[in-house]
Amino acid sequence: MKQTDSYTRSVHRIGRVGSVLAILWMLGIPAVMCGVYHMFPSVPDLLLFGSGLLAMYVPTAVSEVITYVPMLGSATYITFITGNISNLKLPCALNALEMADVEQNTDAGDAVATVAVAVSSIVTTLIVALGVLLLVPLRPALESEPVRIAGNYMLPALYGCLFLSQMTSKAGGTVIKGKMKAAVLPGILVFVIHVFLAPVNRGLAILACIPLCMLCAWVLYRMGQIKVVHLDKDG
Amino acid sequence: MGYFDAANAPLLYFLVAAGIAYIVGLSAVFLCKSWKRCLELGISGAKLRSVARSSAVFTIVPSVSVVIGLFTLSTVLGVPWPWYRLSVVGSVSYELMAADMVASGMGYSSVSEMTACADYTVFGAVMFVMSMCILAGIVINIFAVEKIQNGMNTLKKKQGDWGTIVNSCFFLGIVAAFTPLIFASGTVYAAAFLVSMGVAALCVLCMRRFRLNWLGSFVLSISLIVSMAASVLLERLLQ
Repeated sequence: MKQTDSYTRSVHRIGRVGSVLAILWMLGIPAVMCGVYHMFPSVPDLLLFGSGLLAMYVPTAVSEVITYVPMLGSATYITFITGNISNLKLPCALNALEMADVEQNTDAGDAVATVAVAVSSIVTTLIVALGVLLLVPLRPALESEPVRIAGNYMLPALYGCLFLSQMTSKAGGTVIKGKMKAAVLPGILVFVIHVFLAPVNRGLAILACIPLCMLCAWVLYRMGQIKVVHLDKDG
Repeated sequence: MGYFDAANAPLLYFLVAAGIAYIVGLSAVFLCKSWKRCLELGISGAKLRSVARSSAVFTIVPSVSVVIGLFTLSTVLGVPWPWYRLSVVGSVSYELMAADMVASGMGYSSVSEMTACADYTVFGAVMFVMSMCILAGIVINIFAVEKIQNGMNTLKKKQGDWGTIVNSCFFLGIVAAFTPLIFASGTVYAAAFLVSMGVAALCVLCMRRFRLNWLGSFVLSISLIVSMAASVLLERLLQ
């Protein structure tokens, strides 16, 4: 228990300090460049250019924190600093939990998700650096028609296999039977609103669907339609 | 001094390389700490190596799309700044949107017109706007992650099975929001989703039937590549 507390305290401290330093670096690069080349923008200009983006991205950030922290735990710090959350880090972490056979929101789940996200972050950084080094020779191949088309379909390709693994998950020796039923009503609502009323924003849809899924899950759990089964060691 | 002289300045390359080295260093610290923790919790080294291998292999394909984004952005932002932005929190759509906001605020009709006509001082505004407007998530994390995580752990311990179900609802929320949007986006999107599911199911079947345990590290990557290749074929067939 003591070891757990010490790890938790230390990993969160590193996450917080690491995040503050990352922010300082992100703002420090423009500040140094502007200082050296005498090109500091005025504050009113910055507010004018940035207000629209802030209005759009602050609510998105709130929804992402609420959605992803319960799944990623302390891996959230490095996930948010390195970006590509829904299309790379989250699938990577969930896949790792399945492979290591551990549950989310447990000590083991938290550590395994962090291993996966850290490895993924390092690999992405190396590949992007390689892309910079090989900018000229790689450009024709990576900007070809098939690669461009394939890139458009990355998200459905990613979530197809991920949904299957989550539906059949036995991670940590726990199976939630009938859990997909809780997503049916929210899913239908999103489809109807998107197709017949107005285009749905993905981030807002997730934020609305989580409490709705909880409500449906609670009703179905009380009705005995959703059950938690604890497997023995032999599965 | 022109716009691209500032955007491709050697000093910017140096600052960006140092910033990226910091990100890699921070990731390495998290990796060492969590790896050690996993071993303490009884997860075997072999299992951890398998998790790391799977994560590394899986990361390659989505990272290639990040490199493609780098090529797109380098035409309007030079090379070093997109290199940094795409190695940290940024994304192609966000960076283009931010550059467009600066361009329209300055009275240009497009980002291309701004890069062709504006002097180098505009680049300072572009860098600041891109950096500031996407920091909210990282800032909220500093105050919220530990509290949310403790809350979820307490819920799971106190509520037992219901706590386990609540945990799963976060991913179910993504399922409920993503799946209808994927199916409403068109036939090829839906097909890519279903092919990926089918390939993953096939891989799991082969693993169990022929005892190919090593395949477990590659299921996500194989499903992703086969499904993306199928979407290229399907799009050509439907044209």
